[in-house]
Amino acid sequence: MQIEKFYYDNKIVKAFGLATIVFGIVGMLAGLWAAIQIYYPASSLNLAPTTFGRLRPLHTNAIIFAFVGNASFAGIYYSLQRLCKARMYSDKLSWMHFWGWQAIIAAAAITLLMGKTTGKEYAELEWPIDIAITIVWVIFGINMLGTIIKRREKHLYVAIWFYIATWVTVAMLHIVNSIEIPVSFLKSYSWYAGVQDALVQWWYGHNAVAFFLTTPVLGLMYYFLPKAANRPVYSYRLSIIHFWALIFIYIWAGPHHLLYTALPDWAQSLGVVFSVMLIAPSWGGMLNGLFTLRGAWDKVKEDPVLKFMVVAITCYGMATFEGPLLSLKNVNAISHFSDWTIAHVHIGGLGWNGFLAFAILYYMIPKMWGTDLYSKKLATNHFWLGTIGIILYAVPLYWAGFEQSLMWKSFTPEGQLKFQFMETVNSIKPMYITRSIGGGLYLVGALMMVYNLYKTMAKGSFVANEAAEAAPLVKEIHAKKEYWHRVIERRPVTLLVLSLIVVAIGGLIEFVPTFLVKSNVPTIASVKPYTPLELQGRDIYVREGCYTCHSQMIRPFRDEVSRYGEYSKAGEFVYDHPFQWGSKRTGPDLAREGNKYPDSWHYNHMYDPRSMSPGSIMPQYTWLLDNALDTASTPAKIRAMRTIGVPYPEGYDLQANKDLMQQANNIAANLKKDKIETPPNVEIVALIAYLQRLGTDIKAEPEKNVTTTITTNK
Amino acid sequence: MVYSILNEHSLCHYYDLNQNPGINQRIGIRKDKFAFLDDAGIIAKLISFKDETQMRVSFHLPQIHCSSCLYLLEHLPRIQPGIISGKVDFGRKQIDIIFRSDQCSLRTVVETLTSIGYEPYISLNDIKQKKPAVSKSMVFRLGVAGFCFGNVMLASFPEYLGIEAGDHALRSLFRWFNFALAIPVLLYSAFPFYESSWKSLRHRFLNIDAPITLAIIITFTRSAYEVISGTGSGYFDSMTGIVFFMLAGRLLQDKTYKQLSFDRDYTSYFPIAVSVLKEDKEIPVMLPDIKPGDTLVIHHGELIPADSILTKGKAFIDYSFVTGEALPVPRETGELLYAGGRQTGERLEVLVIKEVVQSYLTHLWNQEKKDPVETDKGSFVHFVSRYFTLTLIIIATITGVYWQINDPSRLWPAVTSIFIIACPCALLLSHTFTNGNIIRILGRNGFYLRNAGVIEKVASIDHIVLDKTGTLTVAEMQDIAYDGIPLTPNMQLQVAALAACSTHPLSRALAKHFPLPGRPAVSDFHEYPGQGIEGIVEGRHIRLGAQSFAGKGMTGTTGTTVFLSVDNKVTGRFQFNNHYRENITKLLSKLSRRHQLSVLSGDSNAEKERLATMLPHHSPVLFRQQPADKVEYVRALQNKGAKVMMIGDGLNDGAALRQSDVGVAVAEQTNNFTPSSDAIIDGNKLPRLYRFIRLCRANKQIIVASFVLSILYNIAGLYFAVQGTLSPLIAAILMPASSLSIFLITFGSSSLLAKKMRL
Amino acid sequence: MSVIFILLIVSVTVAGFFLFAFLWGVQDGQFEDDYSPASRILFDDPALTQENNNKR
Repeated sequence: MQIEKFYYDNKIVKAFGLATIVFGIVGMLAGLWAAIQIYYPASSLNLAPTTFGRLRPLHTNAIIFAFVGNASFAGIYYSLQRLCKARMYSDKLSWMHFWGWQAIIAAAAITLLMGKTTGKEYAELEWPIDIAITIVWVIFGINMLGTIIKRREKHLYVAIWFYIATWVTVAMLHIVNSIEIPVSFLKSYSWYAGVQDALVQWWYGHNAVAFFLTTPVLGLMYYFLPKAANRPVYSYRLSIIHFWALIFIYIWAGPHHLLYTALPDWAQSLGVVFSVMLIAPSWGGMLNGLFTLRGAWDKVKEDPVLKFMVVAITCYGMATFEGPLLSLKNVNAISHFSDWTIAHVHIGGLGWNGFLAFAILYYMIPKMWGTDLYSKKLATNHFWLGTIGIILYAVPLYWAGFEQSLMWKSFTPEGQLKFQFMETVNSIKPMYITRSIGGGLYLVGALMMVYNLYKTMAKGSFVANEAAEAAPLVKEIHAKKEYWHRVIERRPVTLLVLSLIVVAIGGLIEFVPTFLVKSNVPTIASVKPYTPLELQGRDIYVREGCYTCHSQMIRPFRDEVSRYGEYSKAGEFVYDHPFQWGSKRTGPDLAREGNKYPDSWHYNHMYDPRSMSPGSIMPQYTWLLDNALDTASTPAKIRAMRTIGVPYPEGYDLQANKDLMQQANNIAANLKKDKIETPPNVEIVALIAYLQRLGTDIKAEPEKNVTTTITTNK
Repeated sequence: MVYSILNEHSLCHYYDLNQNPGINQRIGIRKDKFAFLDDAGIIAKLISFKDETQMRVSFHLPQIHCSSCLYLLEHLPRIQPGIISGKVDFGRKQIDIIFRSDQCSLRTVVETLTSIGYEPYISLNDIKQKKPAVSKSMVFRLGVAGFCFGNVMLASFPEYLGIEAGDHALRSLFRWFNFALAIPVLLYSAFPFYESSWKSLRHRFLNIDAPITLAIIITFTRSAYEVISGTGSGYFDSMTGIVFFMLAGRLLQDKTYKQLSFDRDYTSYFPIAVSVLKEDKEIPVMLPDIKPGDTLVIHHGELIPADSILTKGKAFIDYSFVTGEALPVPRETGELLYAGGRQTGERLEVLVIKEVVQSYLTHLWNQEKKDPVETDKGSFVHFVSRYFTLTLIIIATITGVYWQINDPSRLWPAVTSIFIIACPCALLLSHTFTNGNIIRILGRNGFYLRNAGVIEKVASIDHIVLDKTGTLTVAEMQDIAYDGIPLTPNMQLQVAALAACSTHPLSRALAKHFPLPGRPAVSDFHEYPGQGIEGIVEGRHIRLGAQSFAGKGMTGTTGTTVFLSVDNKVTGRFQFNNHYRENITKLLSKLSRRHQLSVLSGDSNAEKERLATMLPHHSPVLFRQQPADKVEYVRALQNKGAKVMMIGDGLNDGAALRQSDVGVAVAEQTNNFTPSSDAIIDGNKLPRLYRFIRLCRANKQIIVASFVLSILYNIAGLYFAVQGTLSPLIAAILMPASSLSIFLITFGSSSLLAKKMRL
Repeated sequence: MSVIFILLIVSVTVAGFFLFAFLWGVQDGQFEDDYSPASRILFDDPALTQENNNKR
């Protein structure tokens, strides 16, 4: 055995780093554009792909998976090699991972702009891409674990634990949440329906934040912060405790996204309890980060990398304090569906993720190019611009969220709602404008970084393979002597296995049949599956991303009930694949939209929202009036729905289009009464059918115009 | 090479990491100092693993103190290519080295380490059978309990948060899930409690673990019954939670100090091998193989391992560690040298007259063993728990009888609930958490306790016996007073220059006393052992030494005095006094308020008057105390009913430390050996001893206070339990509420108190 | 709410994985030294700086 010489693979880090920069700019641009559309709807260009409902998923996906994802990969590939004192397990896998991930991002961008979406936030990508993600993720996992196995340093530094946890949990979350039934290439329905879908989605959604945006980045913090500050982390023991506490609590905090919804009370409360408990480990981590810099604040003054990190960690602390706060029921009652949430996530996104990504780029690139940063001053300016950007972004939105929410909840002394929805929107428009300025500044800062890093690369020369040496790990020697010892210590595992068997015997017999027979969601007899036309209309609703601005969930509050109608019940959503509860009310709730307005109102509203509702910030959906409805897909959709348990009669897929045309003709006739001439087979008709159905089932006497339901065909 | 390594690493960076790197760059070690490491027998004892090409060995490196040490030591392969890797365990101050046995030897490895300032501490102790590694099973049990507790709690929430009874399948899923998770806790995590209570029962003594065991088993059985019969959800969350918290408390209390050992005996003070003179050759021999009649070679700084007779050379033996004498004593050829002394000065040859195990020092060590009667029987917590258990059984019986008469169907629910709710775990928790935190606070302040039991013992002592040399005084430091014709700065330089030429402890102290730069050169230097030194400095003939050596002109006083003569004229004298630790007088006066004090010294009575002014007037001060005298003194006090704390530093105090109720060893950073003791105190922190004792006293009050609180919880719980209406929810609220409040009270009050005491 | 079955099983499986990882870590002595690793990562290997420079 001799000291081995090996080379760190910098090329892959470079590739991921460049991808981070490119997609970061793209993602921020998309975000800025979407932000402008909120107060200046015409900036959607009246084109389907560039309308808010499609741009917003593009923005979130680009930032989460392309920008933060690539930054994490770059950081992981850089730090893992050095922490393990080994080159990545396989160059081939590294490059498969890289190109696979970039291909996924490209495919995501194209499909999202095309309106191919599953309609579940942060999991919008359609099934072929989901499969691709799974494969690429497995490749990444093999590569990472392989590196860990062939490491030359016995101790697994705490950052590596964070990376492993990221991999395991993201794999699980992605697979569970992405279970869907394909209808066609690029179209699928979520396997779960309504409340259940919502629970899975937010269990995923929250954990995606936890394990895609937090744990890997914390790992990066634990590596790059000590490196940049050149001092060990404040307390290594605390970092280990931080890790284990975080891992064991995070998993269950998801349901806090569904407070006051139709989710069972106990599940909501469970989410609250765990969310509040999360403060402890999160703040432990934050303090550990900040204390690392104790006595080194003079360095922070000089080093832009540390400056970025300090603000990033502070933002992490703020966001993780605010998160549990928002999960408290009485706070959530105000914050939910408002811009408060948007401000909250951007503290995390712009501050924690963005700034930490900038910091590691500023750290790694000069190192790999063997030079110093081109301009510290420019980086410092980037820092200040970014910080001001964050403040200008977040403060107005907090204000807007709070103000609008209180306006929603205001009543006149006579017991009437004090403000129309439109009034509340108008009052916060100035804040929307300020927010986009903040975002703009942040983007300008990022562009300065691009220039700075470009000049740095030009100045230095890239070392693709960095030489290093270390002795290989020695096999543990005393294994033989202590064999009996190890048997004992294996006992807990044995016992766990035994207990699982107990569950199998005692439990499975009892509850599996129940599980197979029916779901326990309370059923409401009058709730019926969607008609084929409504189903098509619903798919258009999903395609255009209506859920990004409109909720379909009336919470049991006085104001919501008087504004929108009877509060939503779990049983109403049993045929919603996927659920469309939404998370933000830029526009009003639509859960009881059915029969509120005549068909013609919707027609005109879609053509030009401001004609029906002056001052509206909704974009125009002119193409819906012209696009022909794709009726060819109806049978496949009905079949898929039947597979996942929607009780359409057998063979209904073949006659579905007949029913569809009948209902479409009715609507067309209806429109004609209001002097609107339209062919029945256009998309707007399907959408109107869907909107007019929303929330009507539960009403005692179904309206005449929705009687054309499948029940009549039985 | 060292420099270049550090330099490559960029020196500024190196200083960033540590302000005072201060690696002890020792100058020249004796060439064959480590010759014994070529001995195959010794190698075999030291290394932990070997195969055809490589060997693995661990060394204790007391010099490790900063990140730069870590960096330097882990780059050993760059200094010595035969070394494959070096891995430092900072907490243990240990390095694990793997090297190629065909490219370099163990000796080379050690010499390499020594050359960069990290001389491994290799003692006789190293050849003893290595103790097995610290058991990790407690951590395992805690991990399993924590996992199960967390998940059980999670799955219990739905029930408490009002999962609809209609959701039958889900509810029973959660119940069975809890059941399954409680099994490993019952069978594995809680095992130490069964073990301990079984042990205590066999000794016909009921310790606190017995009722706890009972509670765990009853809780589990009742809960299992409820789940299987479908009548309820059971108390699995309470059960797993309590086991988890109790294990956490135990783990906290069993804090160990990796870098300290409380069980050292003379073997870790002795070298592993010595040079034996055979046919004019120095041959390294393992210490146990030394026989009477062997001639040993002792070099400067080495230890005399066995009682022997000086046959060649002038001996200056430093016995400070063994007998407490502050200054090295001269010995002439033919005199007896006791084992344990350290030669300072030239090379000696000595004739061994007793085997190592028979020597005076070893004998001293093995002489006394404290009675092993002391178990935790006397501990307050077990005392209370006995009454607790008794009360509990009475309540349970009364309840049982009552329900038997009135409503037999409620008998079992009520009785079992009593045991579930009134488990003395709160008592155990308050005990372990308080102890744990206090041990931690004391440890942070440089007072390390062997285990939690010592806290109670410290609180109960009423007599403190202090050693003088090395305890009240700092062994290596002397106060020097000058008396005579005033010295000009120039003269000071000349005296210092002369003194610097000698290795005699007094000379060295003198040289250190005038730390001035630019010392002049000395010519014609002569040293007359036992008398003094002389030399020509800048044309002046200077002598330093005994009165007889320096010449007439001044008379000596008591204590150690060195006379100075310039050009054959005595101009003054240097008075050497013990250097007492700072604030020691204050400490003694504070301690005397609540404790009897005694001072025992192995030294002459030169310091008697000074000591008398420092101590309360009735405190006994005894001089020229042999180790056996010290033990006897402590024992006499104990026979009079006193609880004695002995504070000492050297091997000479070792036996007395063990005899006393609480033996506290004083450790200086400079020596890493402390005799076996109950506690170790950092020498600099000795003045804080008073506060440490006070904190230990407060320990009991805190435990009692939190215990009273937990009794209140118990009463609240019992109120429901005796009626047979204890719902799992109430249990689940009471359990964490009481655990949490105990945790907060114990941690909060002990930390607050420590803060108040400025600890 | 049958989906809770799935979530529970999946979550517990993952938690079980982490428990296993934790026990492995304890067994392997990963958490024994809680000082050195933090310092160790700061030491980049400068031995081959020359070579790395030459490559540029």
